[in-house]
Amino acid sequence: MDDLLADFIAEARDMMEALSGEIVAWENDPADKDRLDAIFRFVHTVKGNCGFFDFPRLETLSHAAEDALADCRAGRRTADKALVSAVLAVIDRIAEMVDAIGEGAELPGTDDEALIAALAEGAETAEAPSKEAAPTSNRAKRQSAAPRTIRLPVDLLDRVMGGVSDMAVARNDLARRLAQAEGETGLEAPFNRLSAILVDLSEAITRIRMQRIDTLFAGFPRMVRDLSHELGKQVMVEVESGDVEIDREMIEVVRDPMVHIIRNAIDHGIEKPAERLTVGKREIGSLTITARQTGSEIRIGIVDDGKGIDGEKLVAKAISAGLITAEEAAALTPRERNMLICQPGLSTAKEVTSVSGRGVGMDVVRANIERIGGSLVIDSTPGSGTRMMLNIPLTLSIVPSLTIGIAGHTFALPRSYVEEIVRNSGDEMDSNRMGGRKFITLRGQRIPCVGLEEVLGLKSTCPEDARLYVLIKLVGGDVFGLAVDAIHNHEELVVKPIAPVLMSCGLYVGTTQLDDGSPVPMLDIAGVARSAGMISEVKDRTIRTAGGEVREEEKALQPALLFVGFDGGERAIDMDSVRRIEKLPVSAVRRERDGTAQIVIDGKIVPFLGVAGELPEDMVAMFRIGAEDREIAYAYERMIDLVEYEPDTVSKANKRTGSRLALIDGRPVDVLDEARLLADHAGRVAEGA
Amino acid sequence: MEERSLLLVRIAGEMAAIESERIQSVVELDNITPVPRAPAHVVGLAALRSKAMTVVNCRCSLELAASEAVSEGEILALAVVVEIDEYLYALVVDRVEEVVPLEGEPAPLRADLLPGWTRATLGMVETTAGPALLLDPDQLVAGPSNREAA
Repeated sequence: MDDLLADFIAEARDMMEALSGEIVAWENDPADKDRLDAIFRFVHTVKGNCGFFDFPRLETLSHAAEDALADCRAGRRTADKALVSAVLAVIDRIAEMVDAIGEGAELPGTDDEALIAALAEGAETAEAPSKEAAPTSNRAKRQSAAPRTIRLPVDLLDRVMGGVSDMAVARNDLARRLAQAEGETGLEAPFNRLSAILVDLSEAITRIRMQRIDTLFAGFPRMVRDLSHELGKQVMVEVESGDVEIDREMIEVVRDPMVHIIRNAIDHGIEKPAERLTVGKREIGSLTITARQTGSEIRIGIVDDGKGIDGEKLVAKAISAGLITAEEAAALTPRERNMLICQPGLSTAKEVTSVSGRGVGMDVVRANIERIGGSLVIDSTPGSGTRMMLNIPLTLSIVPSLTIGIAGHTFALPRSYVEEIVRNSGDEMDSNRMGGRKFITLRGQRIPCVGLEEVLGLKSTCPEDARLYVLIKLVGGDVFGLAVDAIHNHEELVVKPIAPVLMSCGLYVGTTQLDDGSPVPMLDIAGVARSAGMISEVKDRTIRTAGGEVREEEKALQPALLFVGFDGGERAIDMDSVRRIEKLPVSAVRRERDGTAQIVIDGKIVPFLGVAGELPEDMVAMFRIGAEDREIAYAYERMIDLVEYEPDTVSKANKRTGSRLALIDGRPVDVLDEARLLADHAGRVAEGA
Repeated sequence: MEERSLLLVRIAGEMAAIESERIQSVVELDNITPVPRAPAHVVGLAALRSKAMTVVNCRCSLELAASEAVSEGEILALAVVVEIDEYLYALVVDRVEEVVPLEGEPAPLRADLLPGWTRATLGMVETTAGPALLLDPDQLVAGPSNREAA
C-alpha cells in the first residue's frame, strides 16, 4: 500500500510539473481545446486514483473540477476567466494536499466548498485565489519533498551498474599487484576499506535493479478474465506476490513462460462450468499464482483446480510416438510422467484451439526456464488440478557457478545443475563401456558419461583416473556425468550475454570474468547435453539397474525447510507457508521479560519467535510466515536443507505443546504449524498497542 | 554536415578502411581466451575492463590465409573495437595506419574481388593515402558462414 501511495504521489507531482506550463497557456486563452484536455486528464486521473485510497476531500475536489471541465469539453459551457481561476485554485489545493499526503502531514485548508462553489457557472470572480501567498509556500515545500522518490532512465542504471563492475575488475587487478609487492606498502588498510565500500555499493546497485514481482503479476488477472470469457469458462484468479522482488531483466524472461502456463491452465486445465458441476466441483474454477523467495531462488507457483494431467494418456502417447518404451514408461515417477508434456509434439489436448495446444509450447517453456538456470516441476492429480512450480534464480546476472578446467581451458557452469561431483576412483564407482559410451554406476544407477573435451573438440592429457565427474541433473530429471580435468572453484559470477556469433554454436550461454579479469565462457548445459547426445529427450534417462532399490511410488510430498533453531532444536516449516527468508540486524529486536520478542520489519512491529537462546551479535536470520497484516518472524540459527516429507506421516499435534512430528530423512522432526502459530501469536502486538 | 573520417588499417598487405564513427577504440590484445567450437574466424574472448569482447580475426573473416600473428594464447594482437547491438567486438588487423578524412561516398567496384572481400566491402574510397576498400564491420563479424544468407 505504501508503495502504491508513493507511486500515486510521484505521478501526481510529475503531472503537475508538466501541467504548470499548460495552465499558464490556458489562462491566456481559455478557449484552447488542447490545454483544456490536458487539464481535464489531470483531474480525471487524480479522481480515478483517489478511488484506491481514502482521500474523500481530494476526490470531491477533483470530481467537481472534472465535471466543470467536462461541460466545457462537451460544449455545454464556455471556459471563461472565472472558470480558469476556479480550476487553478482547485489544482493548487490538490497540489497542497498531495504534498501534505507525501509528508504524512494534516491536509491543509478547510474551505473546499468555497473552491467548489467557485467552479459553478456564473460564480463570482472575486473568489479567485490569492495567488501570492499559497503558491510560493507550495513551491518551497514541493522542492523539499521531491527527492523522496525519483524516476531514472534504465540506461543510466545500467551504466552505473557497468561502472561498478569495472571498478570491481580494477580492484581485483590492484589486489593482485598489491600481493606481488614486497613487504609493507601501507596500502592494505585503505585498500580493504575501498573493497568494503565497493561490496556495499554493488549490493545497493543490485537492489536498485530489483522490482516487486507485482509488476509482472499485475497483467495476469485481466488476461485470465479475457481468456476465460473467450473460452466460455469461469475462472477466479488469486494473485499473491509475497513481497518478492525480482531483477527487472528477469521479469521479461519469465513473462512468456508464465503466460503460456496460465493459458494452458485455463484452456486445458479448468473445465467448462457445466462439466465442473457434473463432477461435483464449484462451477467457478480457481487459479492461484504465488511467488515466494527462498534464499537465492524465487519460486513461482501456478495452481489450478481443473482436470489435471492425464498421465496414462500422456504415457500412451509418448510410447506411440516412439519417445519411450513401455518398460521405461513403467519406471517413471508421476513427476517424470508429467514432464512428458514438455516433449516436443506431445499434447493431450483433444482439439487444437487458438489459445494453446499445438504441442509446441511446453517444450519451449521448459527450455526457456532451463536457459536461465531455473527449473520446472509439475505435480498433478487427475480430476482435481495441476500445480506448476517454476524455480528461478533471483537475478540473471549473478549466477552461483562452478569453474572447471579441461585441456588447459577454463569454463564456468551454473551450479544449479550440479548434483554432485565424484572422482573416478575404483572403490565406490564402477565404470563400463557400452556402444562406445561410458557409463558409471553409482548407488545402483547407471549414468551415461561424456568427456567435456569430446564435446568441445579438445584433447585432454589428464590421466583417466585423475578425472572428475560432474553429475549434471537436467531439468526434468535426466542425469549425466560430465568428465573434466579439474574443478577450480565455486564462485558467484557476474554473467553477461555472449555475442550472437558465439551463441550460435549452441554451447555457451554467456561470458563471465574471473578475479584476474580474464574472460571465461559459461557453458550452456542443455546445449552440451544435446550435443553429446544426452538429451535425446527422454530416451537417455538413467537406466535403473534391475534388482536395485525399488523406487517408492511418489506421493504428493510436502516441501519444507529444515532448520536449526537458537535453542539447538531441529524443526521444519512447510515451504508454502514461508513468505520470505531474510537477515535483519539484531538491533531491530526487542525482547520482553516474559520471553516473547518483537522485531521491526519495514516499519511494522512483528512478533518474533524462535528467540530462546543466544542471538548472534549483528544480524539474525529469519523467515516470515502469515499474511501482510498478520505475520510472524521466526529466527533460526542455520538452514539445513530443503526437504520433502509425506503429509501422511505427520503425527497428530501434541495437545499441550502444539507440536507435530513428521518423518524427515528417517528422523522425527517437529513441523511448525503455521495456522496455530498465527492464531497464538499474530495480533498480540496489535492488541497490546 | 559533420566531418566523417576513416581509420586506415592493413590486412594481409592490403589497405582497408573502417569508418571512424563506428570505432570505439584501438587496443592491443593479450590474453585471448579461446572458445572451442566457435566459427573459424572467431579467435575467442578478451576483456576490455569489465566487458568481454569477441575477438574476430579479419584475415579469416575475409577468407584469406591466416597469418601467424593471431593464434591461440598470449600473442599480442592489434584490434579495432566496434560495438554492434550492444556487443563489443575486437577486429584483429595486421597494422593500424592513420586516420584520414572521408570525402565523398564510397564508389562501387567495377571488378570481381576475392569472395571474402566482396562480402565485407561497402565500396572503394579515395583517401589522401591512396585508394582503400571500405569494410563493413557487421559482415566482418558475421564471417564467411553467412554468405549464403546475404
